Amino acid sequence: MKVDIKELDGNLVAELTGRLDTVSSAQCAEDLKALFDNATKNMVLDCKNLDYISSSGLRLFLSLRKASSAKKLGLTLTNLDEEVYNVFKITGFVNLFDIK
Amino acid sequence: MNERLVLVNKLQEVDKMTLWLEEIYEKAQVDEMKRFNITLSLEEVVVNVINYAYPDREAEFTLDAEYEPGGELKFVLKDCGVAFDPTAKEDPDITQSAEDRPIGGLGIFLVKELMSSVSYERVDGQNVLTIIV
Repeated sequence: MKVDIKELDGNLVAELTGRLDTVSSAQCAEDLKALFDNATKNMVLDCKNLDYISSSGLRLFLSLRKASSAKKLGLTLTNLDEEVYNVFKITGFVNLFDIK
Repeated sequence: MNERLVLVNKLQEVDKMTLWLEEIYEKAQVDEMKRFNITLSLEEVVVNVINYAYPDREAEFTLDAEYEPGGELKFVLKDCGVAFDPTAKEDPDITQSAEDRPIGGLGIFLVKELMSSVSYERVDGQNVLTIIV
């Protein structure tokens, strides 16, 4: 799992590449948590290269969602592929996130 | 066709399972969406066994696949650990707001939603979980 961070249109964009399974979610959580703790801008998670997610990845996304709303910052998810979006639909996560 | 994978209760074993599944997907001609859903479902139940079945020791457990190319796929997960029926877990409330929703508790729910059938039996001191795709 690779996380690339850049600034775009005043937002902080984290591009996720790879798989969010049980092992990689734990590693990725540390990187993203540090990013969120220091964030002062709205955030975007670009998922166009996110190939896979299990419940461990969903846990990570929900904790980031809670962290961003506690800081009153926006969190947008972009470019979810069909399989990942289906998991978001089944779990009701489509209603918890701004998805574009 | 039948195949068996022997795993030990270490999280790194999930990668081994994923590679084993990729080979089965090729032989059984499974489409992309199903591949994703099966890998996710088996990761959830296998990680449960790894994390909870053997609290104080290293142990092996097995995952069996039964399939025909283009036909039905069935997986059977067996461990000799602590008796645990994952299907008995109550479904989460998926209508709650982000603030109210607890972190976690989605794994088995996803398996039940994504697979046609998930059934549990305790047989001769073994947990036997049968998943039909």
